[in-house]
Amino acid sequence: MKLLAVTSCPNGIAHTYMAAEKLAQTAAEAGIDIKVETQGSIGAENVLTEEEIEAADGIILAVDKSIEMDRFEGKRVLSCAVSDAIRKPEELIQRFESGEVPVHRSREEAGETDDITQTNPTHKEERGQNLIYRSLMNGVSYMIPFVVVGGLLIALSLGLGGEPGAKGLVVPEDSVWSSILKVGEAAFTFMVPILAGYIAVSIADRPGLAPGMIGGFIAADGSFYGSEAGAGFIGGILAGFIAGIITRWIKSLPVPSVLQPIMPILVIPLTASTLVALLFIFVVGAPIASLMEGLTQFLQGMQGTSKVLLALILGAMIAFDMGGPVNKVAFLFGAAMIAEGQTFIMGAIAAAICTPPLGMGLATLLARRKYHQEEQEAGKAALAMGLVGITEGAIPFAAGDPLRVIPAMMVGSMTASTVAMLSGVTDNVPHGGPIVAAVQAVGNVPMFFVAIAAGTVVTALLVNVLKKNAEVQRSESD
Amino acid sequence: MKLSDLLTDDLMVLQLKGNNREEVMDELLDRLDETGALSDRDQFRRDLYAREEHGSTGIGFGIAIPHGKSAGVDQPRVAFGRKPSGVDWNSIDGEPARLVFMIAVPEEQAGDEHLRILQLLSRKLIDETFRQALLEADNRDKIKTLIESM
Repeated sequence: MKLLAVTSCPNGIAHTYMAAEKLAQTAAEAGIDIKVETQGSIGAENVLTEEEIEAADGIILAVDKSIEMDRFEGKRVLSCAVSDAIRKPEELIQRFESGEVPVHRSREEAGETDDITQTNPTHKEERGQNLIYRSLMNGVSYMIPFVVVGGLLIALSLGLGGEPGAKGLVVPEDSVWSSILKVGEAAFTFMVPILAGYIAVSIADRPGLAPGMIGGFIAADGSFYGSEAGAGFIGGILAGFIAGIITRWIKSLPVPSVLQPIMPILVIPLTASTLVALLFIFVVGAPIASLMEGLTQFLQGMQGTSKVLLALILGAMIAFDMGGPVNKVAFLFGAAMIAEGQTFIMGAIAAAICTPPLGMGLATLLARRKYHQEEQEAGKAALAMGLVGITEGAIPFAAGDPLRVIPAMMVGSMTASTVAMLSGVTDNVPHGGPIVAAVQAVGNVPMFFVAIAAGTVVTALLVNVLKKNAEVQRSESD
Repeated sequence: MKLSDLLTDDLMVLQLKGNNREEVMDELLDRLDETGALSDRDQFRRDLYAREEHGSTGIGFGIAIPHGKSAGVDQPRVAFGRKPSGVDWNSIDGEPARLVFMIAVPEEQAGDEHLRILQLLSRKLIDETFRQALLEADNRDKIKTLIESM
């Protein structure tokens, strides 16, 4: 028989290791193969691998604090106090030999593990926070390549093949850049669905992928719920969590064993996807359309009032959801005002558009410790996207740590839009970033760049002050 | 670093005077305090009792290991005391504690070397011959040899 064990105690100084030693000794005496993972104050040691778990006949969890259970799904798991492993290891092993240990099926059902979490509510709360952070990071890490590929291809085609026009920077249909632009846009199409899909996977494992991606697609496409713009990446995050939670809930429902084989490929994805889609279309989506309408009316009412106030509001809106409904309203408002000859509004917006990616790019260069390896790479791509006014370059950062990153970017964009507004920067093309100056659409170019530089620096410094070190965040999530 | 760096001569009490858990705890706390390892004796004492509340550190086999990771601790140290007649420690197996290791770990400490040593001690205490030898050692030098043998 092959057994595995995990030992853990509140302080992680003594009992964890005593229990590990005792289990190892007892198993050796009984001629049983055992490997014991210790989760003490040194951190997890002798960590069980996926293959070992797969091959094991059972797992003893001698833990006095809650630990990650998902990896033991479908295995025989015996949960007990760490002192039981020190006092009566023979009895624990005996229970596997007599086959009385139940198979672990997701946390909600395993009564014994529930007891552990209940006796220790603070740990449960920590788990909750970690689950959110872990899920976001999982979604972001799968999303980053799509953002980078899409962003860079769009940047390249706009930079080399774009021509200014009434509808913004346009790449002529007959050029090769038009095809490259389309490839880039295709990559961007996957961005929000992938984010949502892998958030759901993090919560509900593989069955969460389809509901998450479908939900994310609907979130990003406003035509499903009669809105001019989709719900953006924030909608995608929401869709991912909803899909994950619904899937996990369906997974936990008891089903007759006849249905068991078709649950993961048919019943769970179908039910969860339908529920997520309906929820988004009829509950979440409708308010987005009316939100956009309300914001548009609000901005129209702002005309003629204080220019600074307008600049602050537009800057904040541009950076808030980067391509989402709030951003779209501000952008479309600026574009509409160009036709009325009020190009200074688009001037302020054009400066605000590029500071989130430029600011995040600068931030990763200034404080490497605060960003994971892949975030540092995404930072370089963000700089390139910022230059051609693709705000989406900052989405990976915002999606991974929204509460710190979004406010910093909003303040940075507000800085940029206010500086641009006060110094009379104009832009007669509905597009943003340094590229609009390169195509000679901007009036007062020097101050346009001053505004961008100011917003970029403010974003970078502020976000780095708010963010903790990447290592610190990681150890918290352990 | 070795266990003998954490469990120094002046932290060994061959014959504990205390007759109950509180007295033994205070006796060992005094020893730790005298070596300057504690920055706040009361804080560490509270943390020790908080741990005992969570579940007795009397792990059975006549051993108790009151321990705490505490802001009241400045340097990692282990105090060791023997009570051949035993004191009640509310042990899991009901046996009185005859060997008491009080483990003091600072809240913040660079590196994890001290934790590795304590891990080794914890594992070693499971070994019955080691426990027996600690009980039977009739002078300080024999105990030192045992501890250095780890």
